[in-house]
Amino acid sequence: MADGSGETPASRAGTPVGRGPAGAPVIRLSSVAYTYRGPPPVRALKPTNLVIYRGEHVAITGPSGSGKSTLLNLLGLLDKPTDGTLEIDGIDVGAAPERERAAVRAHRIGFVFQSFHLLPYRTSIENVMLAQVYADEPRRRRPAAAMAALAQVGLAERAHALPTALSGGERQRVAIARALVNRPSLLMCDEPTGNLDTATTHELTDLLESLHRDGTTLVVITHNPTVAGRAQRQIAIRDGQLTEHPPNGDTGAFPDS
Amino acid sequence: MGTPVRSLTRRRLRNDLPPSHLRLPDLGSEALAGLLQRPGRSALTLLGVILGIGSFVTIVGIAQTASGQIGKQFNVLQATQAYVFDVGAAQSSAPALDFPPNADALADRIHGVVAAGVYWPVRFKQAAVSAYASGFLASQRALPVTAASPGLLAAAGVKLVSGTLFNQFHETHAQNVAVLGESVAAGLGITSLEGQPAIFIDGQPFTVIGIIASSQRLPQLGVGVTVPESAALRLWGPPTQERAQMLIHTTLGAAKVVAQQAPVAIRPDNPTLLKGAAAPSAAQLQRNVSTSLNTLFLILAGIALVVGAVGIANTTLVAVLERAGEIGLRRALGARPRHIGIQFLTESTALGLFGGLIGASLGVVTILAITIDRHWTALLDPRIVIAAPVAGAVVGLLAGLYPALRASVLEPADALRR
Repeated sequence: MADGSGETPASRAGTPVGRGPAGAPVIRLSSVAYTYRGPPPVRALKPTNLVIYRGEHVAITGPSGSGKSTLLNLLGLLDKPTDGTLEIDGIDVGAAPERERAAVRAHRIGFVFQSFHLLPYRTSIENVMLAQVYADEPRRRRPAAAMAALAQVGLAERAHALPTALSGGERQRVAIARALVNRPSLLMCDEPTGNLDTATTHELTDLLESLHRDGTTLVVITHNPTVAGRAQRQIAIRDGQLTEHPPNGDTGAFPDS
Repeated sequence: MGTPVRSLTRRRLRNDLPPSHLRLPDLGSEALAGLLQRPGRSALTLLGVILGIGSFVTIVGIAQTASGQIGKQFNVLQATQAYVFDVGAAQSSAPALDFPPNADALADRIHGVVAAGVYWPVRFKQAAVSAYASGFLASQRALPVTAASPGLLAAAGVKLVSGTLFNQFHETHAQNVAVLGESVAAGLGITSLEGQPAIFIDGQPFTVIGIIASSQRLPQLGVGVTVPESAALRLWGPPTQERAQMLIHTTLGAAKVVAQQAPVAIRPDNPTLLKGAAAPSAAQLQRNVSTSLNTLFLILAGIALVVGAVGIANTTLVAVLERAGEIGLRRALGARPRHIGIQFLTESTALGLFGGLIGASLGVVTILAITIDRHWTALLDPRIVIAAPVAGAVVGLLAGLYPALRASVLEPADALRR
């Protein structure tokens, strides 16, 4: 993390991103905290304020057990904060009923996981179309949209290949296509390059960067300093506490206590 | 950001964001895909339900078919009929007749008896009936000869065409008289009873006194020769291989009681020599046997079905644990707990339904195979065939309840880690 935070990635300087006219907050955390119920209770995330604006590319780094996964689960609405309010697109979803949270996940959040989470018996396009099931996309419109998403990640020609026939990088790109197919407000990536070699990591980081250039809001949780270094904002988490490098004024993360 | 923007955004979201869905076609294809992921396991899981439903359908079908057969045989004629068998000489092959000469009269005293008579087939080494005296061997015929008491002709309900039946007088005096079936008489060239035509049985002359059309209860009388019991005893002795038996015509509903009382009434000195039976003994026996067998098989089918349900529950539970990652992914893609639950419930129900369909089909095939083999008419209530897959689906549904609940309460964050 230290390596990544010191330098300014070249791509970032030349990229017109951030708080333009459309730069409304996508995510706003106000005093959000998370405590694992015991025994003994473990405070995995200390009260935190964080705002992520539309079009931003944010990297979250931290060692294992630092609270990274907890933060990701909260940001991705996979878990509910035990304290504070969490807003996505201005809606308080932290304490909302599951019905609303599920709707937000279906329409507003795209997930990319370290282990891809592709269904092994389905082709690339079928895996992508799975995301359209719950977003209630009409069936006849799905293949075209899924194909477009695959084309966006450069995998149109592997649309009918099974995951077992794909390389690691290709699998992750299918997963990204699946995350993109419903045009989410936010792309949530959990160690997207964790299972990939260096060359593939580069390809994938380029892809994420191009998505960012096209306006996608990215939150990337990573161990990899290179991947983190490509982000506009780098937030470090340690012992459940967030610090931003370089400190980012009112909009950044800061300890609440 | 200002309040107006936020409230604007909120309204847009609340209005624009439909709740996540799992439409019926998607539910169907997702559940089917889930089952086909592990086709071998799904097929093995089906076995229990197939066995259970299949044996249910087979047992019910066979029971219905068998009762249909009994229904065919069991008519009014047989409901008013009882037999008494001569079982006294069962062990020996020596000629014996355990019915006393006045057996008819003794049986008539039993309440509910309309008519009763003793008969036995008389066997000859070679064809013995002829219209001519001995010497014309070519004219001899192999016709069944029955020795009968006068009461038998009444009990058998013979229809007289011409002449008369032999009576107690002929019996008492052991007269050589005979009653012929219509076709037998024609075959022997006897067209008229005027002039007292005679036939020869085993070389003995008999006067033909009557011609009968048929007998409802003993059809063999209509195609053979019937002579008085006493004459047969005098000429050929008591029956040897095939023992005598008594046919009793009873009032409706009395057959069973009469059959029980007859041995005592006829041989009070030694009732064990005789054995009474109400018709139709064979069908009744079959029904008794099949009822107890049916109960056993139904229990076995029930056990198979329970085993099948446990199998489905187990497979679905294993699938839930195995597919935790998939469940987490689906939740991340917007599935609500109920979507997850209903998907696994649909999978288990579909397993039960397929098992029921295959089981019902196999059951029908089994019924057909058995009935064709036995030359029966296959009978099966179509409602059973329709109900069987439904029963299978219900079994699958019940078996899937717990695994589906487990799947739906799985926390997405936990599920994704597995």
